[in-house]
Amino acid sequence: MKLNIKHLLLLTGLLYWSLPVNAFCGFYVAKADAKLFNESSQVIMARDGNHTVITMSNDFSGAVKDFAMVVPVPEVLQESDIRVVQQHIFDKFDAYTAPRMVEYWDHNPCQVVLTDGFARPNTTTRSMDFSMVDTVEEEKDLGVTVEATYTVGEYDILILSAKESSGLKTWLLGNGYKIPKDAEEVLDPYIRDQMKFFVVKVNLEAQKQSGYSSLRPLQIQFNSDRFMLPIRLGMANAKSTQDLIVYTFTRNGRVETANYRTTKLPTDRDIPEFIMQKGLFGDFYKAVYDKAWKQEGRNSVMLEYAWNVSGTNPVKCDPCNTPAVTFAELREAGVWWIQPGMAGGYTGQLFVTRLHVRYGREKFPQDLVFLNTPNSENFQGRYVIRHPATGTMDCAEGKKYQRNLAMRKKREMDELASLTGWNLNQYQWYIGQTETTPPRKIEPQIEPDRLLAPTKEVIGAVEDTVEQAETVAVVLEEGDTTERDAFIEKAQAEAQKASTPLNSNWMLVLVAGVMFAAGLWFRRRQRT
Amino acid sequence: MLLSSSNSLALSPWFAPVRFLQRDARHFQIIYLSLFLLYGILELGWDTQLQRIGLTVGTCLAVQGIFIAATGRKWHGLKSALISSLGLCLLFKANLMTTVALGAGLTIASKFLIRVDGKHIFNPVNFGIVVGMVVTGDAWVSPGQWGSSATLLYFMGAAALLVLLKVGRIDTSAAFLLTFCGLEFVRTVLYLGWPVDHFFHLLTNGTLLLFTFFMITDPMTTPNHPRARIIWAALIGGLTFALAHLFHLQSSAPIWALFIISPLTIAFDKLLVRQKYEWFSK
Repeated sequence: MKLNIKHLLLLTGLLYWSLPVNAFCGFYVAKADAKLFNESSQVIMARDGNHTVITMSNDFSGAVKDFAMVVPVPEVLQESDIRVVQQHIFDKFDAYTAPRMVEYWDHNPCQVVLTDGFARPNTTTRSMDFSMVDTVEEEKDLGVTVEATYTVGEYDILILSAKESSGLKTWLLGNGYKIPKDAEEVLDPYIRDQMKFFVVKVNLEAQKQSGYSSLRPLQIQFNSDRFMLPIRLGMANAKSTQDLIVYTFTRNGRVETANYRTTKLPTDRDIPEFIMQKGLFGDFYKAVYDKAWKQEGRNSVMLEYAWNVSGTNPVKCDPCNTPAVTFAELREAGVWWIQPGMAGGYTGQLFVTRLHVRYGREKFPQDLVFLNTPNSENFQGRYVIRHPATGTMDCAEGKKYQRNLAMRKKREMDELASLTGWNLNQYQWYIGQTETTPPRKIEPQIEPDRLLAPTKEVIGAVEDTVEQAETVAVVLEEGDTTERDAFIEKAQAEAQKASTPLNSNWMLVLVAGVMFAAGLWFRRRQRT
Repeated sequence: MLLSSSNSLALSPWFAPVRFLQRDARHFQIIYLSLFLLYGILELGWDTQLQRIGLTVGTCLAVQGIFIAATGRKWHGLKSALISSLGLCLLFKANLMTTVALGAGLTIASKFLIRVDGKHIFNPVNFGIVVGMVVTGDAWVSPGQWGSSATLLYFMGAAALLVLLKVGRIDTSAAFLLTFCGLEFVRTVLYLGWPVDHFFHLLTNGTLLLFTFFMITDPMTTPNHPRARIIWAALIGGLTFALAHLFHLQSSAPIWALFIISPLTIAFDKLLVRQKYEWFSK
C-alpha cells in the first residue's frame, strides 16, 4: 500500500524561499509591457501521458548567495532529471503569448487609393561542495533524510525526505531557510503525501565559473499521473497575492484548471489610439487583468493564450508578437515529443496554453490541478487600434466619416473605461479629435497599490530582451546541445515507460462491462 | 368557510400553472436546469454557442421521438429527453458538432437499447458523456466551470431540495455525499492534515453538486428499493473517492463511478424488490 501511494502521489510544486525577502521569482510581460506584476513567477510545463517536464524561471533579484528554493517533488530525482536552461525561453514564450495590440488604418473615403489594414508584429556537473550537509547526525534525529545531493550548473541541490513537519522545519531553519508562517501548515500534508523536497542553493564557485551574471532557470522531469502545481507552500501570508504565469505544452488541446474556474481575459476590443503610446499598453493590460480578476471573484484562473502550434499548422500566431517558436526553443523547454523539421521548424502535435493566476491563501485553498482537454480552439488577448484616415475630407462621404468617427471614438473610450475601470474624464479631448493622436503625455489612472515600474524602464527591458533573445537564439541553435539532448532522450524513455498499453478510459469501460455481466448473472441466478 | 374558499382558490384557473408544475417532477427539473444553463452563459461567461444547445436539444428530442414512434411508448417521454439534453449542455463539451450530436444520440439511444426488466440501466446523460468521451476522444467535462460562488451553490441546493422531495430520492444524494465527503474529510483533513478550507473548497464545487442532486437521483435508473439505493449511492461515493485518488481522474471521477456502479442496479432490483417509479403522481 505504501508503495502504491508513493507511486501515485506524483506532483511537483514550487516554493521559493530566500533569506531577506520571501520571493516567488520575478517575471516580465511582452511587447510594450515588462515587469508589470510585482510578486510573480513563471513556469513552463511540458506534459504528455504521465511524464512532465517543469521549468522554473529564476528572476531572483537579491544577492545571489541569499537565493534558496524548495520545491516539493513526487520522487527522488536523479541527476539526469535536473538541468539548467536558458532564461531566453521564458522571455520568448512570454512575448509570444502575451496580449497583443493590432493596428488598422482607416482609408480616406475621399481618396481612391485604399490601404489595407494590417497587423504590425511585432551545464556542467561538478562534484559536491555542500555546506548544508555538515549536520548528518542531527538530521537523523529530526527525521530528515538527505536522499541525494547534486551540483547542477550554478546550483547545489539536495533531495530531502522527512518524517514530520517540525523536524523538517527545524532542519530548514537551521540551514538558513526562512519558512513563511502560512507555508508551515502545509509541510505536513506534503510529507504525508510521500513527497520529497527539492532544495536548491547557489554554489557561488560554480556560479562564478559559469560566466552567467543572473541565475538560470532550473528544469526537472518526472513521471506522475497527477498534472498539478502545488502553490500552497509558496504562499507568503493570508492577505497578499502573487502572480504566476504557467505555460503548458501538450500534444492535443487546451489546459484548464480542474479545481478552479478558468476564465478568459477580455479580448477583441476596440480601444482608443492613445493606448499605443509608449508603455501605456503594458499599463492597460495590467489594468484589464486586474479588473477582470476582481470581477470574476478573485478566485479564477485567467486564460491568456491558447494556440495550436503543431508542426502542420502554418499559422503559429495571428498577429504575431514575435517570430514563431523554434524547435531549439521548444527542446530547451523540455518538449520531448516533437521532431526537427525544415528551417528551424519541427514536426509533431503541439498545443500551447498560457494561464495567469493571481492567488492568495484566502481564495486558493487547494493546489492548482490541471486538466488537459481536447479543446483545440485558439484564443488570444487581442486589442484593436484603428487609426483615423488623414487628408482633406471635402467630399460628402468624408463628412459622414468624420461624424461617425466621433461616435466610434466615444465607443472606444467607453470600452476602455469598462475594461480598465480607469477614470477617463481628462481624456475627453480624444473624442473631438479627427486625425491621428499627436504624441501627448498621458497618466493612466491606476489604483496606487497596483502602480507599476516606470514606463521608460519597461521599454528598455523589452528592447534588451529582444536583443538578448536574438543572441540566445543563436546559442540555442548552434551551441553545444549534448546536455539538452541527453535530458530529452531520458524524457522520451521515461514517457515511453509511463505509457500504458491500454488507455485507462477503455479499462474503466471494461470494468463497467464486467459489472453489467455480473448484474445479469445475478438476476439469472435469482430467477432459477 | 375559510377552507372551502381556499379550496376554490386552489382550483381556480389562476393556479393551473402551479398544478401543472406539480403534476410531474420533470417540470421542475426542466426549469432549474434551464436556469443553471442561463446562469452559466450569462453570469459565468461560458462560451456555449446557441447552435450547440440547439443541436443537443434537437438531437435528443428527435431520437426520443423516433424511438417513441417505433416502440409505441407515451409521448411525455419527450420531457425526459429535454432534461437529458439540458444536462448534456451543462456537462458535455466537445470540439466538433458531430461529437455533440453523437453524444446526444447516444444519450437517448441508451435508454431504449440497454434495458433490463423494462428499465434502462445507465443514466442517459452519464452514458452519453462517458461513451462520447471514450469513442471520439474529442469530448471532455469541465469540472471547474462553476467556480465556487456561494449564491449559485445556495440556489442549486435549494432547487435540488424541491426536486428531491418530489421524487423522493433525497436518500440517494445523502448517501453519496456522506460517503464521498466523509472519505475526503478523513483523507485530506484528518490524515494529510490540510486546513479545513481545503476540504470545503471541494464541497463548493458546482459540478459535484449538479451530479449529486440532478444526476444520481434520476428515479428511472436508481434501484427501486430505498435500502438498495443507499448502498448503491454509497458505493458510488466510495468509488468516486478511489478513482479520484488512485487514478487521478480529477475531472470526471463521479461520472465514471456512476457509470461503473450503474449496472449493479439490475442485481439490487432483484435482491430488494420494490415497485418502479412513475413520473406522474397518482
